[in-house]
Amino acid sequence: MRLRRTKLYLPGNNPNMLLRGHLFGPDGVILDLEDAVAMSEKDAARILVRDVLKRGDFGDCEVTVRINGMDTEYWKTDIETVVPCGIDGIRIPKVEDPKDIALMDEALSQIESKARIPVGRTLIFCLLETALGVWRAFDIARASKRVAAICPGGEDLRADLKTTRSENSEELIGPRRMIALAAHAAGVDALDTVYADITDDAGLRRETEWVKQLGFQGKSVIHPNQIPVVHDVFTPTAKEIEQAKKIVEAAAEAAARGLGAVQVDGRMVDKPVVKRAEYTLQRAGLKAGGEKA
Amino acid sequence: MKTAQAGTLESMDCIVTVTETEKGRGISIAMEGASIVRFGEAMLKATKDTLKDLGVRDISVSIQDNGAGDLVLKARVEAAVRRFAGVRTP
Repeated sequence: MRLRRTKLYLPGNNPNMLLRGHLFGPDGVILDLEDAVAMSEKDAARILVRDVLKRGDFGDCEVTVRINGMDTEYWKTDIETVVPCGIDGIRIPKVEDPKDIALMDEALSQIESKARIPVGRTLIFCLLETALGVWRAFDIARASKRVAAICPGGEDLRADLKTTRSENSEELIGPRRMIALAAHAAGVDALDTVYADITDDAGLRRETEWVKQLGFQGKSVIHPNQIPVVHDVFTPTAKEIEQAKKIVEAAAEAAARGLGAVQVDGRMVDKPVVKRAEYTLQRAGLKAGGEKA
Repeated sequence: MKTAQAGTLESMDCIVTVTETEKGRGISIAMEGASIVRFGEAMLKATKDTLKDLGVRDISVSIQDNGAGDLVLKARVEAAVRRFAGVRTP
């Protein structure tokens, strides 16, 4: 199972961040060709990102590129430039239509085939930044086997919902719930949007704990200082791991003896509890399995 | 005189300015920045190699460096040359 607790955005025209971002230890990096790059710099950023990708020095990070939206003139050149470098995935902004994902799947296959990269290698991460995109979350997540995650937008989504940012982001409660539900129904990850205030660790922790409780697997971050906070929330504690081990071992023992239910510390443990314990061990890197990709 | 530029003076970056020269004048490269003393030769080679790969024979290049390594320098040279040629896609 690929941990996606944090994805660090790296501005596509900033050599310092592009070359050093992975050193801060996020689970993934997002080399950003979209909002972080001025229109007049799209060309230079694309060349720089291509060369940084070719160097390929990202440690264990999952490497993705946020391309420009499929409603712009840039997206095709973006994927033609970065996909042959052998990236793990692309992040598509403002996805609204499952047909666009099918179209992207086909375009990626052609590029991979031409570049002699295994067809299907490049995963798709969908940013759902409009009400329509969120409404169609399940169909979008199922539009291609490449889809690894769906992610709610932040400011764009607020604008489309004709609302503003509140202290606790109450306006995004519904969309986040819908995305968590759609992601798990479709068998992909639900990854949360960024927390914009990079000086407010307590707020970041509160929001991260909340989205974890909703069923999200991780969160995008915009500053290296946010990584330890998000990792701390999404990483099982030693106590949780110990308990999970006990449950999984007891369940295995019961299964070997042909028993359905089992007791751990005086409590009956049934299938969903075992499943959750297995998931805890997967997230701790102690058990294989989990979601696709 | 036709000219084009790419890059910034942020840390680990450089500004590359290319200016047209008369045909047959060849390539001239001027560099400034703190790293030139130590890495000047390597930067010169990186720039020449990139121009050669892009098929550029006559051009004047000015580099203002703020700690860009070879990778960034090459990317900025390519971007400047492509802008000079009016081709904004790699």
